[in-house]
Amino acid sequence: MAVPCHLLKVCGNIVFAAQGSDIHSFSSELEHISTWRYPVKQGAESTTPAAEVQESPAPEEPPAKRRKVGGGQEPTSNGGAAAPTDGQVKSRKAAQYDNPANERPFVQGLYATADGRHVVAITGSDKTIWVFEHDGAGKLKELSQRAMPKRPCSLAFTADNRTILSANKFGDVHALPLLPSPTTTTTSATTSSSPNPTTGLPLSRSATPSTPTATAFKPQANELTVHTKRNLKALENQKRSLSRKAFEDQQQQQQQQAPPPFEHALLLGHVSMLTAICVGTATVAVPAVAAQASEPGTSIGNGTGNGAEAASAPARTTVRREYIITADRDEHIRVSRGMPQAHVIEGFCLGHEEFVSQLCMAPGGREELLISGGGDDDLFIWDWVNGRLLGRSGVLEHVKRVAGEDVDKVAVTRVFGCGWQGTTAVFVVVERVPALFHYELLDDSRLQHRETIPLRGNPLDVDIIESPSGGQRLLVAMDPSASVSIEEGSSSLVVLDKQETGWKQTNVENLPACEDANISADELQKILYSTESLRKLTDFD
Amino acid sequence: MGRAKKDRRQKREDYRAALREDDVTELPRKKFYRQRAHANPFSDHRLIYPPHPDQMDWSSLYPDYVVDEPQQDQQTPAPETPSDRELTPARPKRISKDVEVADIGCGFGGLLVALAPLMPETLILGLEIRVSVTQFVEDRIKALRRQNEAAGLYRNVGVLRANTMKFLPNFFRKGQLAKVFICFPDPHFKARKHKQRIVSTTLNSEYAYVLRPGGIVYTITDVPDLHEWMVQHFEAHPSFERVPEDEQEADPCVPIMRTETEEGKKVERHKGQKHVALFRRLEDPAW
Ligand SMILES: C[S@@+](CC[C@H](N)C(=O)[O-])C[C@H]1O[C@@H](n2cnc3c(N)ncnc32)[C@H](O)[C@@H]1O
Repeated sequence: MAVPCHLLKVCGNIVFAAQGSDIHSFSSELEHISTWRYPVKQGAESTTPAAEVQESPAPEEPPAKRRKVGGGQEPTSNGGAAAPTDGQVKSRKAAQYDNPANERPFVQGLYATADGRHVVAITGSDKTIWVFEHDGAGKLKELSQRAMPKRPCSLAFTADNRTILSANKFGDVHALPLLPSPTTTTTSATTSSSPNPTTGLPLSRSATPSTPTATAFKPQANELTVHTKRNLKALENQKRSLSRKAFEDQQQQQQQQAPPPFEHALLLGHVSMLTAICVGTATVAVPAVAAQASEPGTSIGNGTGNGAEAASAPARTTVRREYIITADRDEHIRVSRGMPQAHVIEGFCLGHEEFVSQLCMAPGGREELLISGGGDDDLFIWDWVNGRLLGRSGVLEHVKRVAGEDVDKVAVTRVFGCGWQGTTAVFVVVERVPALFHYELLDDSRLQHRETIPLRGNPLDVDIIESPSGGQRLLVAMDPSASVSIEEGSSSLVVLDKQETGWKQTNVENLPACEDANISADELQKILYSTESLRKLTDFD
Repeated sequence: MGRAKKDRRQKREDYRAALREDDVTELPRKKFYRQRAHANPFSDHRLIYPPHPDQMDWSSLYPDYVVDEPQQDQQTPAPETPSDRELTPARPKRISKDVEVADIGCGFGGLLVALAPLMPETLILGLEIRVSVTQFVEDRIKALRRQNEAAGLYRNVGVLRANTMKFLPNFFRKGQLAKVFICFPDPHFKARKHKQRIVSTTLNSEYAYVLRPGGIVYTITDVPDLHEWMVQHFEAHPSFERVPEDEQEADPCVPIMRTETEEGKKVERHKGQKHVALFRRLEDPAW
């Protein structure tokens, strides 16, 4: 099965595009530069720690979700999302079919640090975070691969670019140093870890203390310590399952006690599947006293200016604060403090009535605004520091014009903000809709639909590049097999140029040969179009 | 579905319907409300919850506290666009106070019913994930209100079906609560089920969010390991400190928690131990 490019990341004047398990790089003229290929494992002798730990969380995931599709994003079962259920037996069996040694998991996330010096990718079924050094000219050097105990679904970087925040499908957010210390064993981590620049604390020390290990508790109670019928029954069940699967349980416990062999700290968690994470910064005026007490925030000067004004008013100063914003399948957007106080929830942005799948910090110096999208008919615009909904902007109404009046719901898969020809633009991708929706963020914080750009296939990702001549061009990764007008030589990477008459679409023809993935069309669909499955069934109980 | 089962269900429904008739003051009987012991807190269920606490309609839970106010909506001009309209959803009827005490996993409501007369000026809410158990508590409160009509008791207590592990922030604003009770929570013995425990490092941040500084989390359990688990997780959380024992024992809610919860009574009958621990919500650190 030929797989399309499905993720894009423009980094300076270099374009990175993920296609299946490969990451290609292109120049700004879209000339191919190089390709990183996911290393194929040699037989049972695994080169990655992934193979050993990858199934540790399996028993907690619902069996439906574990039916894996060649390393792609798991189909999300409705209702069971991020849900530990009782399906351990089945899921363990299903796990055998996961990620066979010769199977290369899909790239599921593609990111670059703000300084463009590092590219970070998530691969699917092996739950691995890859960090690459980028030479600025399109060459990637693999620096590290870290197999997470649970599948990461979205990453962000702290403002200093030194820490990766990884949100997983089980609802937790972990911090990992972008560059792990050279000797990454658990024992050396504490001693050799460089102090976290923002906190001054070694990163391995959790801001929110991590869950004490299972050993500390010996969770088994006995009849003498359990007095209610309800608890007795729970204990009974536990014993029964112990005898039946004593071996598996034991194995499971061992795995739980063995944390991944690299520095990582649990920062926060939802009891829900996380779908997106981003970092926000805000400049906040505080009384000078508070600013002094404040260590993590960086004091950036006296907000009240100087002279008589400052003397009469109580001394105020501004601090720049960093926040972690997380979105989940249960309609929540949570705003927590940044490290090292990520355990403090500052607020929520509540109002979505369906899953949230995308968070986008407004670009162009408008970082006090957050745009979110998901299964609702509209995009939401937030004053996220104060948890206030500022406005909504319709998506469904514009989708109907492309896809027909009978469409009654949308799943937003990409909300991409950027400076665009002197304006602040937001480009939106809706799952299985062959068009790109262009909105403009106005000065009064309204998000206005500007244009719907029809495409020859379903867009999967979008980014912008500066053309050699200086103008801006849109770059779209798309699924040409779903083409509305079947054209010769349609490509999965397309450049769009705005012209007087409309949009000129140019295929990027010279895509490097990509080994056809060992994956059925059906499975591929599930990987590429996984967002709608986040929606809750209304008749489910 | 077997005939017998159908009959039983019919009986239950008839019973419950009859009980809801307005003039009935009889207390509900548990046997008509039993339900499977566990509900998976991770699944969707068919839960009803407001998107935002401002959209929560408390008026049906606490009808005696509803504020009569002139409809102000007419004065504001009609919103221009449909989207703007949705920005200001119809405000539910206001009540004169906020809920300040929450009983998480309230079960059959013993604690609620005992707390209600103890703090008659405070609105108390039980939250329970199991449907028929919630229904039982609802019927119980109704009957108690009727029985105590003259004294005006139990008007300050209500119950909601909710999954507290997911949706606390949908019901309560930041710092709204003064007390949160977690009484005899399900132990989830297996290590792999620990994420289902109602106390965890990450969930404790949500309790801290809904609690005001100085607010108290009350915990009690008969399972020593779970007690230890809760103590460790709250003590390890920077937003909480353990309340010293003398202060704990002087708190009038503590004996109620020990003796009035259904689980507490069961443990009493089995002559088991009860482990109590209280935690105070600290001020957030400067930043
Ligand atoms: C062992 S009972 C204790 C009942 C009561 N607190 C008492 O002490 O008698 C635990 C209760 O918590 C409820 N529960 C468990 N998880 C819950 C959740 N996520 N949200 C709300 N209730 C929950 C269960 O349905 C059960 O009724």
